[in-house]
Amino acid sequence: MDNHIKKVYMPMTETAFYILLCLKEPNHGYGIVQKVEQITGGAIRLAPGTMYGSLSKMEKDGVIRFVREEDKRKIYRITELGEVVLQVELKRIERLYKNAQEVMAHG
Amino acid sequence: MDKKAFKYFNIMQYREEEEYLRSMHRSGWKLVRISGLCIYHFEQCEPQDVIYKLDYNSDGIRHKDEYVRMFNDCGWEYVQDYVGYSYFRKAADDSSGSDDIFCDDESRLQMMSRVFKGRLLPLLLMLFIVIIPQLVFGIMRGRYVIAAIFAVILILYAVMFTWFSIDYRRYKNSLKK
Repeated sequence: MDNHIKKVYMPMTETAFYILLCLKEPNHGYGIVQKVEQITGGAIRLAPGTMYGSLSKMEKDGVIRFVREEDKRKIYRITELGEVVLQVELKRIERLYKNAQEVMAHG
Repeated sequence: MDKKAFKYFNIMQYREEEEYLRSMHRSGWKLVRISGLCIYHFEQCEPQDVIYKLDYNSDGIRHKDEYVRMFNDCGWEYVQDYVGYSYFRKAADDSSGSDDIFCDDESRLQMMSRVFKGRLLPLLLMLFIVIIPQLVFGIMRGRYVIAAIFAVILILYAVMFTWFSIDYRRYKNSLKK
């Protein structure tokens, strides 16, 4: 894995995280916005400028790929590299959570 | 009734421009289009609080259909492109989606760096390929009028770049807080 990927995705922004998570199934930008709003109970509302910029950047970085276009909406899917990066991030978050639990329980 | 206004914003002052357009709409003047050299055309409308936002994304302008589609889907009306910027608006009381076209600081800074790359890099190239050589040749060949003209342009450049970098720094620092 090259340094650029490490620098940008380890750790990654919340936006990039949700994009990768949602693109385990093929989906378009607005689909991701809706899904994230739904699974976070409206707490996170992704904005179109951020979405558009992130999707094209993530496609260039090779963590997601373009599948097809439907009704002027580009549909993307996570790549193998994207899966690896997402797993690393999940492990990091898991570690954060575990450490926090331990410290809060035992001081 | 229509109204035209001349208003200059430098390329890093898009937040000031957004506020200007919002306050115009609030006082009953809706942006119709921007043309020529910073001429803003307005038409009279019911005063309303409408949020205006500018994006700078050449990728989006090249793929206009899907770019505008994404914003429309999220509840933003597309107004037009003007010198690399795309203008969007949305009623402030529209509760669907977010009130901004960016939802994290990362993407706000990315937009600023797209502005830099799109607008300032070509200017920097011009500086080294045209302006500095012309100035040097002008002086070497004793053509002082030409040299003077390019010296003035050089000073304007220096002022402009200083201005931009101060703006950029200030914004970057404001994000960190």
